[in-house]
Amino acid sequence: MSLEDPTKPESEAVVGETEDGLDYDALEALLGDLAIGRETHLNAEAFVVRPDEVDAALTTLRDEAGFDHCSCVTAQEYDDRYESIYHLRKYADPTQEVGVVVPTSRDNPVSQSGNNAYRTADWHEREAYDLVGIEYEDHPDLKRILLPDTWQGHPLRSDYDQEQPQVVALREHANPLQEDHRGGEDSDTMFLNIGPHHPATHGVLHLKTVLDGETVADVESDIGYLHRCEEQICQQGTYRHQIMPYPDRWDYISAGILNEWAYARTAEDLADLEVPEYAQVIRTMSAEMCRIASHMLAVATFALDVYGDFTAIFMYAMQDREDMQNLLEDLTGQRLMFNYLRLGGVAWDLPEPREEFFEKTRDLLDDLPERLEEYHNLITSNEIFQMRCVDTGVLEPDVAKSYGATGPVARGSGIDYDLRRDDPYGYYDELDWDVVTEEGCDNYARVLVRLQEVEESAKIISQCVDLLEDWPEEERTIQSNVPRTLKPEPDKEVYRSVEAAKGELGIYIRSDGTDTPGRFKIRSPCFSNLQTLPEMSQGEYIPDLIASLGSLDIVLGEVDR
Amino acid sequence: MPDGPAFEFLAALIASSVIAAALLGLVAVSGIWGKRKITAAFTDRIAVNRHGPFGLLIIVADAVRLLSKELIVPEGVDRPAWDIAPIVMAGSALLGFAVIPMGNGLHIADPEVGLAYVFAVASIASVGLVMAGYSSNNKYSLLGGLRAVAQNLAYEIPLILTAASVVIFAGTLRMSGIVEAQATTLFSVAGIGIPSWYAFVNPFAFVLFMAANLAEVGRNPFDIPEAPTEIVGGWQTEYSSVYFVLCYLSEFIHIFLGGAIIATIFLGGPAGPVLPGVVWFVIKMGAVYLFTQWARSAVPRVRIDQLIEIGWKGMLVLSIANLVLTAVIVGITV
Repeated sequence: MSLEDPTKPESEAVVGETEDGLDYDALEALLGDLAIGRETHLNAEAFVVRPDEVDAALTTLRDEAGFDHCSCVTAQEYDDRYESIYHLRKYADPTQEVGVVVPTSRDNPVSQSGNNAYRTADWHEREAYDLVGIEYEDHPDLKRILLPDTWQGHPLRSDYDQEQPQVVALREHANPLQEDHRGGEDSDTMFLNIGPHHPATHGVLHLKTVLDGETVADVESDIGYLHRCEEQICQQGTYRHQIMPYPDRWDYISAGILNEWAYARTAEDLADLEVPEYAQVIRTMSAEMCRIASHMLAVATFALDVYGDFTAIFMYAMQDREDMQNLLEDLTGQRLMFNYLRLGGVAWDLPEPREEFFEKTRDLLDDLPERLEEYHNLITSNEIFQMRCVDTGVLEPDVAKSYGATGPVARGSGIDYDLRRDDPYGYYDELDWDVVTEEGCDNYARVLVRLQEVEESAKIISQCVDLLEDWPEEERTIQSNVPRTLKPEPDKEVYRSVEAAKGELGIYIRSDGTDTPGRFKIRSPCFSNLQTLPEMSQGEYIPDLIASLGSLDIVLGEVDR
Repeated sequence: MPDGPAFEFLAALIASSVIAAALLGLVAVSGIWGKRKITAAFTDRIAVNRHGPFGLLIIVADAVRLLSKELIVPEGVDRPAWDIAPIVMAGSALLGFAVIPMGNGLHIADPEVGLAYVFAVASIASVGLVMAGYSSNNKYSLLGGLRAVAQNLAYEIPLILTAASVVIFAGTLRMSGIVEAQATTLFSVAGIGIPSWYAFVNPFAFVLFMAANLAEVGRNPFDIPEAPTEIVGGWQTEYSSVYFVLCYLSEFIHIFLGGAIIATIFLGGPAGPVLPGVVWFVIKMGAVYLFTQWARSAVPRVRIDQLIEIGWKGMLVLSIANLVLTAVIVGITV
């Protein structure tokens, strides 16, 4: 495998890897005294580690057992303890998973940071600190991330007082012009607030930028402006019906069904629900329609960032996205907030007359190659565009992995990682399509990946349409039997993810015996991808920073949740 | 007929007012209505169509909207400079039209150094840009102002050197002289005479001048002083209401001045068959305007360092080569 970390000794086999999956006993032996217990989650085994040995355990698992992807860090409260769970997996094979559970006491919830082993832990641990109040030692910059610095209390704790007034004084930004020169009197640098109101931040994102002339000396993202307590909302909703509308609102830019699928997949695993094959095909088709719409918007806004105006490319891509949305509207009745998936299936069958729907879809797919050709003519083969995008915003594969980058961002850095193929769900493994990767690692490669993925999605949709057309009428079951009220057994834990438009969208659910989740954690791909921005843009010019931000294709609704 | 300095002054004032009013009308139509329609045509849209015939009344609506907005003066702006900057920018471009022969006798002044004068007054706008960028007390404005200066420095020299090659052909800086020099027939194709417009005589200089002109007027791929997605609005970030109108106006008058210069020194000025000269002149200016809008809709923006590199390492060398070559050819043939 060419993508394996070159520093890893190649001769010896990776600990724990066997012909038929992971050997958790070998991993336990590898961890030795570091593992003080073992838990079984639905997706993988998890090892309990003492709070002061987190770094050692994570580093061992990364270096000896090949777990190079820290997908998510979940923090949660129990009656007797606070707990952080590091969900680890491998870029080479995401079905090989392991959890690292770190319990900390109630009176002194302090744990060692995992930032040393995985740089992505930085933001994830800040979020855990912010919402649950676990403190991480040796963390480079442990402060609130989603809530304002002045916030009182940690909202996901049971003793949190929702009634207390939150006086949020904007101390630091009372007058942003005051601190023109951060970094000492003799420094030549200029501090610049890019956002939260800026044409190129794709929503409300605040980049604290230090400029040396036109060069970006340092950039720090300030997020949380769009935080809507999605996790808490989901913890208060019932599994069966009340949670499903919310995923549409995470990545709200036409990727709704992909998000819904993340919840559907996790909850179906948790409650052990079957999904009829017919419904899986419909899910696959509609999810890929969402992906095309989402990628079209990504290309459009990226062109907007590089071209600097609402140019032809922007409008063409919006038109193509519009066509996809019309199809989705026919199917789901909605244009953005679809709420189309149900646990155990989908809400309803294809619209009647079916032939018309198939014909519309086929017409659109037939036109697509020509449209894509136009994009290649207008964007990717434009020399000025290449001048701007080739070799700017470079994200090396090992850096991308350390930050947990996924989706087109990872695939643009040559990381061959796509959950649709590597951890199959839905109907993907029955269909003929390819995972697109580009070796460029730059802004240009990420655009190429998105444009080619549109082609692959079109292939998938076309195969799904053929399948659906020939599906025998009596076997068109859109939903399996699901109990009216879902009450999974208490203390079952599951972490599952799907390949959303922006990357790996994971959901962690712990059941507590009621009809609502005890803990509902969302692993947002944009959240992890956005962390790579400083790596990509330090030392480059402001226009490159803007282009890199555009090429990450973040949606703040998903970053902030 | 009365005579004397007072009369001359009055006549000049009336003539300038007529031309300025005509220009502002042109800008109003093309800047407010035309820009919308042209961009829409490039991007598969329809644009304004509900305000009067063809949406033309949008001009009135926009004028009312822009002029009735509150003029927000940010705290800490450098007051006289901040107020003067938009006037300097709009004024300098208008001044340039004084020496442009627009056909049918529309020609306010015809000094011997006409072409030098046009470039001199047009580059006063750079001063306005710096004033606006520096006095706004906004970092985006500052960055935009600095970019504008760097850009204008890098492109003014190739622009003027290319124009100088035309002067070598024409043998005069006088605008009317340059137009007259293009009146002869270059060669005939099937009975139709191709005039010796310098765009045909020296197409290389014409292309070079068009490219440098895009940078001079700050349009894609060289719109980096404003670069909305990078530095918000550049030097004009803090301007609102009437001052914004002046900034916007100055940009469009600059584009038209660029078009007027190109029409005069490369496209035979007001020359053209059948239609009156002034119509031809407006058509030629409009064609250049259309070209800038096309570039804006289709071409990505270059980065500031790339722009400087293109300017100093590419355009400057090419323009000097063009100048030397022209001098040699003219020296041999004439």
